[in-house]
Amino acid sequence: MSEEHPLTQAVIAGRRKDVAALVQQCLDAGEKAKDIVEKRLLPGMMAVGEKFKRNEIFVPDMLIAGRAMKEALLVLEPLLVAADVKPEHRALIGTVEGDLHDIGKNLVAMMWKGANIEVVDLGVNVSSAKFVQAVNKYQPELVGLSALLTTTMPAMRDTVKALRDAGLAVKVVIGGAPITEGFARDIGADGYAPDAGSAADVAVAILQAKK
Amino acid sequence: MKPAVNVQVELESGALREISVARDDLLLADILAAHGMPLNTRCGQRGLCRGCEVLLRDGAMMIDGKVVVAPATVQSCRARINEPVAIQIPGRSCVGHLPQAGETFEIAVPYAHQPLFPAVAGGRDTGFAVDAGTTTVVLLLVDLVTGQVLSQAGAFNEQIRFGDNVITRIEAARKPEDLAAMQRAIVAETIQPLLLLACQRAGRPLERIAGGAVAGNTTMLHLLIGEDPAPLGILPFTPRFLKGRQVLARDLDLAAAGLAPETPVQLLPGIAAYIGADIAAGISATGMAFARSPSLLVDIGTNGEMVLQSGGKLTACSTAAGPAFEGCGLCCGTRARAGAVGGLRLSLHPFQLEIETIGHVPLTRANGLCGSAYVDFLATGRSSGLLGATGRFETAAWESVPVQNRLMDNGGKALRLTDTCGAGALRVREADVALLLQAKAAIGAGIEILLKTAGVRAVDVARVNLAGGFGMHLNVAHAIAIGLLPGFREEQVRVVGNTSLAGALLALVDRTMLDEMENLRAQVKVIELNLADGFENAYIEHLMLA
Repeated sequence: MSEEHPLTQAVIAGRRKDVAALVQQCLDAGEKAKDIVEKRLLPGMMAVGEKFKRNEIFVPDMLIAGRAMKEALLVLEPLLVAADVKPEHRALIGTVEGDLHDIGKNLVAMMWKGANIEVVDLGVNVSSAKFVQAVNKYQPELVGLSALLTTTMPAMRDTVKALRDAGLAVKVVIGGAPITEGFARDIGADGYAPDAGSAADVAVAILQAKK
Repeated sequence: MKPAVNVQVELESGALREISVARDDLLLADILAAHGMPLNTRCGQRGLCRGCEVLLRDGAMMIDGKVVVAPATVQSCRARINEPVAIQIPGRSCVGHLPQAGETFEIAVPYAHQPLFPAVAGGRDTGFAVDAGTTTVVLLLVDLVTGQVLSQAGAFNEQIRFGDNVITRIEAARKPEDLAAMQRAIVAETIQPLLLLACQRAGRPLERIAGGAVAGNTTMLHLLIGEDPAPLGILPFTPRFLKGRQVLARDLDLAAAGLAPETPVQLLPGIAAYIGADIAAGISATGMAFARSPSLLVDIGTNGEMVLQSGGKLTACSTAAGPAFEGCGLCCGTRARAGAVGGLRLSLHPFQLEIETIGHVPLTRANGLCGSAYVDFLATGRSSGLLGATGRFETAAWESVPVQNRLMDNGGKALRLTDTCGAGALRVREADVALLLQAKAAIGAGIEILLKTAGVRAVDVARVNLAGGFGMHLNVAHAIAIGLLPGFREEQVRVVGNTSLAGALLALVDRTMLDEMENLRAQVKVIELNLADGFENAYIEHLMLA
């Protein structure tokens, strides 16, 4: 794995149009979709997360890189499905009830995809009942809850409780601007991601600990 | 030619005038204006407002081809006369004040002189108008006898210690003691000192204060009167009140030696949870609701609000831009005030900086950069090649900057603008640029989605009213260049300043404006950007500098 490949570089820099062209070039050169994701895109998203943690890049750069990654996946995901390639892990993600903000949540979804996790996105204003229902349906190993409004943090607590009450063994990671580690511990979440940059690390650590 | 007919005019003062009208093709509003009695035709004589109403006491007039017989209230911009009549012009219909532009804001409509509080010259003859913003609070002291502004004072909102945006304040208010503390912060610690300062500057004792009018977003007005704003923080975002209401100074704990505890304070009416009284004030002060062609109001504050009027319909949205353009959260940011850097121009090859301060304060005593300077920085930083599309200092260009202007700050680069600024040098960090880009993206994307939803193209908007606390000196070309006003040309844009404050002044001097603001609630359709198709994509697109 290397950060040197032009496609990896284009993801890091968020050059959406270049990314689309370079993905096509890789495919034309006979690279498999799975290899393009694992060897070209994932190192790019990992580098983005690292740079963010080191204050070398900021939220705009992350969002722009995330969108470039999305562009690549738009081409590659159908090919992965056709080749029956499935990531090892699956996660659900959604913004809790009462909250309509999803830009942060969408970025975390992209970072998780960038860590080779399949992500089912439930969208915004997702009730605890809907989360329980979706966990039963998709059987993920991980659930991500997002809240931007401090006022919707209680809904996060309710959702964790609903998942536990339903006897679901799924791991829960929470995040969003107002969330703190203490709050995560308090409501019984398994993990807390202070920002999108660390969301992938937290998810990977939890999934590996499960093994 | 028909014989002339007489119009007997009675003014509110009781004075009588007689006018002879020889033609029946003139509108009453035009006749009165020609005889030195201009009325408040703030909708442009289109019959859309009540500014030019007169009372028909005797006789009959033609209104849109129909006969209207006394007694009746008629809009003089629609009335024609062909028989003798007697009319009375209420004070509220007389132009007391013409449209005006000051240092802080522009008022684009004429208005009456009907003070909200009865004024007794030399007695209680002074009012105050307040824009209670999330980040910045500004107060005007107004002579209610003349309607003239006497002095002005501004400060950061002391509530900032509870959080820099409305959501964190709403959360803090969950604790009753913090709700009370936030009320104290905005009233006793912010508005009260501003009132004292403004009185001192104008040489008016507090004993002469007759009352005040306050505009602000819905959350600020809740916190001002100690009302729990919790429902504003969660779907479906239902305010506890939107209607304009009057409270007393003692209810707010607005206390100062000489100020009567029963001094009335009028809160302006709001439109929705996130389209507040500040925006109702802005719609009124710009007169945009009555414009013949599509017009836009963009109010850049801690939240950015946009209102579009097209075909007489008003559509609005709001977006959490953050306080970056108010200078909050940036390492050398400050609000627009004397001593702040208000404008700058950067060039490379050779590296050059032109810097202007507000009030021509020497640069060595500059106290920070305000929003308009940051707009200039983004625009000229990008056009000079120093900033890349994502707002980072480009490596090659960075190295061509003199070494004394290059700093490292917490892992990121920072450009040093001056040698001194209080403790350190005035500088702009890459992290500051990132916050500015997020703010401008929220506003740019909001405008784009609002126009798209209403089916109006940017080129079809006849006038963009750019409002905000950055004052009247914003460089419009730069605001367009950085994408804050996407797709517009300079000639479409008018900088109108703090229209929230302008609206508070309007309500204070002409109480009929309050009804007009109250009526806006039923007229404005509010759209939720987070649910709008394409908002996220537009937001990310707008994060970049063209």
